[in-house]
Amino acid sequence: MFYLHLRNELWKLFGKKRTYIGFGAFILAQVAMSFAFQSTGWKRSFERLLSGNGYVAEEFVSALTVAVVMLIPQVSLLMPLYTTLVGGDLVAKEYEEGTLRMMLSRPVSRFRLLLVKWIAGVLFSMLLVLVLGVIALGVARLLFPWKSMFVFNPGVTFSVLSAHDGFIRYLLAHGFMAINAGVMFSLAFMFSCFNIKPAAATVVALTVLLASLVLEAIPAFDVYENWLVTHHFKTWLHAFQSPVPWSQIAQSEIILLGVAMSCFLVGCTAFQVRDIKS
Amino acid sequence: MISLTEVTKNFSSRMAVEKLSLVVPRGEIFGLLGHNGAGKSTAIGMMLGQVWPTSGEVKVCGHDVTTQRAKALHAVGAIFEAPAFYDYMSGWRNLQILSHYTARTSNERIKEVIDWVGLTGREHSKVKTYSHGMRARLALAQALLPQPELLILDEPGSGLDPEGIAEMRQTIARLHRELGLTILLSSHLLSEVEQLCTRIAVLNKGRKVFEGRITEVRAARSRVALKTPDFAAAAIILGEHGLIAGTEGGEFISLKAGITTADVARTLVSAGIAVEGIWQRQQTLEDFYLDLVKAPPATAAKN
Repeated sequence: MFYLHLRNELWKLFGKKRTYIGFGAFILAQVAMSFAFQSTGWKRSFERLLSGNGYVAEEFVSALTVAVVMLIPQVSLLMPLYTTLVGGDLVAKEYEEGTLRMMLSRPVSRFRLLLVKWIAGVLFSMLLVLVLGVIALGVARLLFPWKSMFVFNPGVTFSVLSAHDGFIRYLLAHGFMAINAGVMFSLAFMFSCFNIKPAAATVVALTVLLASLVLEAIPAFDVYENWLVTHHFKTWLHAFQSPVPWSQIAQSEIILLGVAMSCFLVGCTAFQVRDIKS
Repeated sequence: MISLTEVTKNFSSRMAVEKLSLVVPRGEIFGLLGHNGAGKSTAIGMMLGQVWPTSGEVKVCGHDVTTQRAKALHAVGAIFEAPAFYDYMSGWRNLQILSHYTARTSNERIKEVIDWVGLTGREHSKVKTYSHGMRARLALAQALLPQPELLILDEPGSGLDPEGIAEMRQTIARLHRELGLTILLSSHLLSEVEQLCTRIAVLNKGRKVFEGRITEVRAARSRVALKTPDFAAAAIILGEHGLIAGTEGGEFISLKAGITTADVARTLVSAGIAVEGIWQRQQTLEDFYLDLVKAPPATAAKN
């Protein structure tokens, strides 16, 4: 029965057109960014950065490098937006439309109902990251050669990798990105379990993200960076470092998984005590 | 099938249901009446485990809904006012989704129920293309899929045209007759309740003001229409002779037990008051309901 319930949730989720907005937005953004990288000063400044550090620029302006360049803003902005859109809708929208009341007239527990919804949402988040990674690399490969990789993010990573090693790290980074997406989804899902509108659940979750970003940018909060989710969201960039800082990554991923589980449990508790009315 | 014992529900400081005790026996069509905000939907929500009672006990099919929800609702189907579906999916897919929350349901069973409610041929169309009547049939189908013994209908005729309401009434009667279901019907449509229900309960401001058989309602208070040139004088004379319990609207008198219209006519004619007409008027459910909800709480509760 659990499988049937999960299948139902996936049918519902992927039956809605708005679920695909994120996928469409990623394709548009990546095509636009690839052309912008190719035809504006963005590429030249990148080459200057490489040659200034003693590297042969032509060797590192590759599909893998450009894919990561395109991913950085999308993982920070677009991915949280689309995961929270889905997470905010998942319970609150069904409550608003009355379908939740129909389901809860059945002998199914509220916990079971939320569990299958949450798992469906996590699967959606993972798929979103997978599609994001495939499109980023696919679009970049159309315009750039398959060569060595260069990853630069101020204060986080400065790495040069062979194409093979870079590709393995690219896959690894997507595993960590999927956890980030799951956390943002879980945050919106938690708010969606309270008695609020779907849009409000999304906005509140995004507000938490922005607040974390702002606090992280304030030097006085450096000592509290471990308390900020956005600090741990950068783990995917650490996957490109050599050697890979596994203990730091493990610590961040455990914290992120803990946040996701906590969000789910808080949401469940709030939903359990709620009255479901017409 | 349903038993509520001293159930109270407060929403913050507002009392939605107050010490409600109710028994819906197996095999009955039980009407739940009350104005908007009387507490009907809250009571139904508590029966379905959607609203948590502040105090009291709610049992459905012999199981406490708050602690044994799965057992209590296993043989229950429900239809709500303005049934909501996943409009972007087909009727068939909606039925699959909803029925799986009760038990694994075969395609043959879904087909059988679709035939029963008369949706054959449109089951694979998206629900957003359905008319109001078709949505009502789909709502009935999802309620029937788990082969329920108890059907809870919360304002099922809401939004339907007269033809749809008549069809819904016939369907409810058919469900009771052919499938032997116990039905709890919450409705504003008093004529529907009067035609269908065997027992009723009336809620007013969260409190039960009446529970009994529909036949008791008709016999509850015998009203007699009296047409005479001087109703006030006639009322005084009838009162002095101890024949009436009261008057209403300068037109009706309520007879005391054992008094007939012939006794009234004879007394008035003897007193020199012409009687132009006198006839027993059977009280409709509407009269009865309006009397109940207009009466002050203390008076109404005595019923």
